[in-house]
Amino acid sequence: MNLTLLTSQFSQIGQTLITFILVMSALAGSLGLVNVVSKRAVAIPQARWIFLAINLLFVVGFGLICWLHIRIYLTLPLELPGQMVPWLNQEIGAMNSKAAYAFPLFDPSHPPRYIIPLWVENEKYYFWFMCYGVMAFLAFRRTTRHRLQGVLLVFMAIQSAILFMAANPFQKPLPKFFGEIGPWFSGSFSPMQQFGEFMKIYPKMIFYYNTPYMWLHPPMLFLSYSAITITFITSVFMLVKRDPEIETLGYDCAKFGYFMLTLGMLLGYPWALQAWGPNWWWDPKICSSIMMWAIYSTYLHTRLYANKKSMWYFTSGLGILCFVAMVFTFVSSFYFPGEHTFQ
Amino acid sequence: MAIHKKTSYDFYLILATVLVLSIISGICVYGMFYFKFAQLQQMAAPVKAAYMDRMNQIVSPFIIALIVILAVCVPKRLLPTVWLNRFALALVAVIGVVTWVWGVVMALKVALCLTLALQFVVLAMALAGNERLNFEKKGYWLRVGSSSMHLGLILFILDLFFYKHQTLHLALFWVTTVATVLGMIGCFYSPALAEIMARRGREGD
Repeated sequence: MNLTLLTSQFSQIGQTLITFILVMSALAGSLGLVNVVSKRAVAIPQARWIFLAINLLFVVGFGLICWLHIRIYLTLPLELPGQMVPWLNQEIGAMNSKAAYAFPLFDPSHPPRYIIPLWVENEKYYFWFMCYGVMAFLAFRRTTRHRLQGVLLVFMAIQSAILFMAANPFQKPLPKFFGEIGPWFSGSFSPMQQFGEFMKIYPKMIFYYNTPYMWLHPPMLFLSYSAITITFITSVFMLVKRDPEIETLGYDCAKFGYFMLTLGMLLGYPWALQAWGPNWWWDPKICSSIMMWAIYSTYLHTRLYANKKSMWYFTSGLGILCFVAMVFTFVSSFYFPGEHTFQ
Repeated sequence: MAIHKKTSYDFYLILATVLVLSIISGICVYGMFYFKFAQLQQMAAPVKAAYMDRMNQIVSPFIIALIVILAVCVPKRLLPTVWLNRFALALVAVIGVVTWVWGVVMALKVALCLTLALQFVVLAMALAGNERLNFEKKGYWLRVGSSSMHLGLILFILDLFFYKHQTLHLALFWVTTVATVLGMIGCFYSPALAEIMARRGREGD
């Protein structure tokens, strides 16, 4: 199967699916808005079914992304002519002798294959918003406050709209990845050029796409971002009214989010040492992540005293600040240079 | 009245923690903008190294402050308030002298080692189910979890001193990670853990 056919099938099915997600989310968002402004709950059971359907559509889309990645694994091995292998391995061996972390040698019977994680490029937004969908749905079922339920739906609709309009993973699948490997699979090279091309894409395959940390570090952070979003929503409600039910819901999300954030950040540490060496500390993204973690830690500390009136509002303020810090941390990858930059 | 004093002490320690963490957050934001506007990404390795050293210098007093707060928080579990005040004063004095004589880095190491030793004692007592520990909240798993999580934080900062010794550094890092993860599970999900353990106990009977 060639690259064009692989991606066009994926795009066709995915585009249909994401359109359905958008339509359902618009419906859910409208119901959400009605509930936010209404004094009484409006069509909450129907909204629950729509919310469930959105989540199921998201899961089906995620299955489609898995399918694409499996196809990439099966159909795109990095093969080399047999006579090049001893020379290549000699070169890799020489590089390994000077490096702290070694590249695996090329084995012609098992050529290296891409095991691309399910959250690269625009797929990360898909995964992130899907996580929000699942968590928000659980929160929706748990709470009896219709205005909170309404806001959870509105946020789902906003995220689906962002996904459809600005971060659609189905419209043009993995453009950076296919841009990187395109020359390798479409070009005809001399042995020297082929060696050069291989050494362009092989390090990124080993230290980025195929590293086990890539399967742990980003998804944990996206799970944490989703939890922070729900904590933010509950914190805004806490500013308006002292409602212990909403506070407990927000705190439960905050605990899960903090757990994922801390573990995710910790698991990024040995990966950074492996991929970048020791000189990445105080990189802008690291700074913003530490800042977010510190604010989150303060939120959990102050929450111990949330029963005091002033601390109740201070804690809610910190819950909102956590969300602002999260958005800032994420957006910083586009604005600030450094190892994590998306520029 | 005594209970009120203890609560106040806890409360002010929490506020102090919040203040120090907020300052560290501010330093991080400063670092981000400095990195961008000084265009450090395009600079040679020595310039980047100088930037990292500078940031380390700026943040180290607040890391020390955080460790001192931790060093006071940890014996708070063990000592009555009067002795805690004396301990806090003695600790600040020791750190001041060490800073004066051997510098900030040595002071940080001393504070860390002292806190680490105390935290081990607290964790051991929490694991043994000792009721004399002064925690804000009750519950065996919550106490064990909180002790383990704070141990993880102390170990993590201590481990940063060993970054040139890669094997030891990574080994300690994984100990830190395990302690932190187990701590968070214990601290955040103590009722669920207690229920699982109680169910197992019932099934065992």
